[in-house]
Amino acid sequence: MHSQDDMQPEARLARSPKAGVAVLRGGMAIEGHAPVVGLPLRFLITGMLALGLGVGLLVLRPDLLATYHYNQYVIAVTHLFTLGGITTIIMGAMYQLVPVALETPLYSQRLARWQFVLHTVGFTGMVGMFWVWNLPQVGHFASILGLGVGLFVYNLARTLRQSPRRNAVTGGIASGLGWLVLTVLAGLYLAAAKCWTFSPFAPLAQMHAHAHLGVIGFFIMMILGVSFKLVPMFALSEVRSWRRAAWAIGLVNAGLAGLFVTILVGSLWKLAFAGLLIGGLAVYGGEINAILRARKRRQLDWGLRYFVTALAGLLPVAGLGVVLAWPRLPLTALTTQLENVYGFLALIGVVTFAILGMLYKIVPFLVWYHRYSREIGRQKVPALADLYSARLQALGYWLYLAGLLATGVATAFGHAPGVRWGCALLAASLAVFALNMGKIFSHLVRPKPSPLMVPMATPGIAGASHLTLTP
Amino acid sequence: MSQQIVTLDVREDLRLGREPFSKIMGAVAQLKPDQALLLIAPFEPAPLYGVLGRQGFTHESKAVGNGDWEILFRRDSGDAARLDRGTAKGAAAAPTAPAPGPRDIRVVDARGLEPPQPMVVILEALQELPAEGELRAHTDRKPMHLYSQLLERGFTGQTDEQADGSFITHIRRR
Repeated sequence: MHSQDDMQPEARLARSPKAGVAVLRGGMAIEGHAPVVGLPLRFLITGMLALGLGVGLLVLRPDLLATYHYNQYVIAVTHLFTLGGITTIIMGAMYQLVPVALETPLYSQRLARWQFVLHTVGFTGMVGMFWVWNLPQVGHFASILGLGVGLFVYNLARTLRQSPRRNAVTGGIASGLGWLVLTVLAGLYLAAAKCWTFSPFAPLAQMHAHAHLGVIGFFIMMILGVSFKLVPMFALSEVRSWRRAAWAIGLVNAGLAGLFVTILVGSLWKLAFAGLLIGGLAVYGGEINAILRARKRRQLDWGLRYFVTALAGLLPVAGLGVVLAWPRLPLTALTTQLENVYGFLALIGVVTFAILGMLYKIVPFLVWYHRYSREIGRQKVPALADLYSARLQALGYWLYLAGLLATGVATAFGHAPGVRWGCALLAASLAVFALNMGKIFSHLVRPKPSPLMVPMATPGIAGASHLTLTP
Repeated sequence: MSQQIVTLDVREDLRLGREPFSKIMGAVAQLKPDQALLLIAPFEPAPLYGVLGRQGFTHESKAVGNGDWEILFRRDSGDAARLDRGTAKGAAAAPTAPAPGPRDIRVVDARGLEPPQPMVVILEALQELPAEGELRAHTDRKPMHLYSQLLERGFTGQTDEQADGSFITHIRRR
């Protein structure tokens, strides 16, 4: 149990009869809940640094993608991307998005702060120990990370219990949390199986099963679940069919469960479960397409374009997955390199690209809310879009796509110089992204509100008091 | 009597992903009594009708091809700053209101706006709320980030979900 001090300050206010905080009919309290900027930001910034470091390493060591993936350096860099980059960002994003996605405040910020320490120590230690291939130490650091993951899952599970809804959003998040726990357990099993040879499964099959759990079960599932809330919100639309959304989550879950087992035991049935999983993704794509077709804002902003393009990347990844799962696929230099392409496109082409798009939504709001929400109606506050440069977003988008294409092709043919150039394009895109993030973060240091120029002529209506209009 | 028409084209703003709401409201704020606003948009901005309607504007809309719309907003009376007072149009669907009933009920329809614009609309409306008044804020989503701002500014809020999945938050001073 947590003491009341563990709860957020807003939640304590809500319990005070004098506070008069919002109360939802039916007896459920809605705590005044401000997004606390420091907590999600420390995760997001750490994750962004890890992604930058990962791409930088690939520029320096293109052989990691240009040669077969079963070696210590590839495993180290992969965990830098997956644990240090993507997982850290998703965790930070979840701490920020919980109030909106689940319509309830986060259960405990204190647990989240402790989790950050455990997570950061855990993943940095793991990456370092993978690099020098010290597996007992990998296991120790993985245990620290696992403890942090336990806090994260417990915190979000308690938050989910408080949520007033049960739909594809909560279902997707709950599924993602479940898969995350299984991924960590599978990873710990892998490390133990390397230290003590007791596992009946083939080492490569174990690793591939573990990877699919993490990438599809946690990363893709969280993206699916949260997108049912965020895409309609930002595209000015609504979920067209909650039943279809639920089917998507269910089919992906069923497909992944079967895929995990069949990869592990080397069964030919993996193709059937891959088909089931792809069916779930197709249903998801159908719902997202319906949401976007019904949108009131015709032009997608760049954040959503990043996200939608990343989702489209699921098509080639799924196609490649089917090819690689095909029975009696000949083991050639090309097919083994295609496994690298498959992993690269899934992690960098789909998950990371989608996350970059979502960061363009999450980070500006976080900074804007922290800096300007108190000034609304009192001073002229900038719009969200004023915090960053759309031109830089566009430049980063095209650099990223070019980098993906170049790196993917070069990886397929094991062409190290090509991989280096492709990753350099990705690094350039991330540098542009960092520049834009710097513009956003500069508002934390130098806020730019200005006095109201026009008196409040139209009471109660936004914008009427602080606009400059060019005729 | 001829009326001068001020034209505002927000298609480029939307194409660039900019939220044009503030720009539109700025144009409305600067309209002279004998002026009307012709808005050109790439879709029918239905939520705007309610917002400007409560300021005393009527509208005539027509689709002009390529999916674009032209909407002419005219003042329907001389009272440009009128809000719904003493009535609760649009909030009639709210199952109950906090007791005792406020004398001055104002309604803000913040549906169809991208975050954080609904919060901006609501907080700006609160600047002018009389001591005994109530603001009824209609939103697409439960305004989770609004509550702490209400607390900080000395208000309470009570949110009811509507049958259509939208929300009405009743806001009064503490």
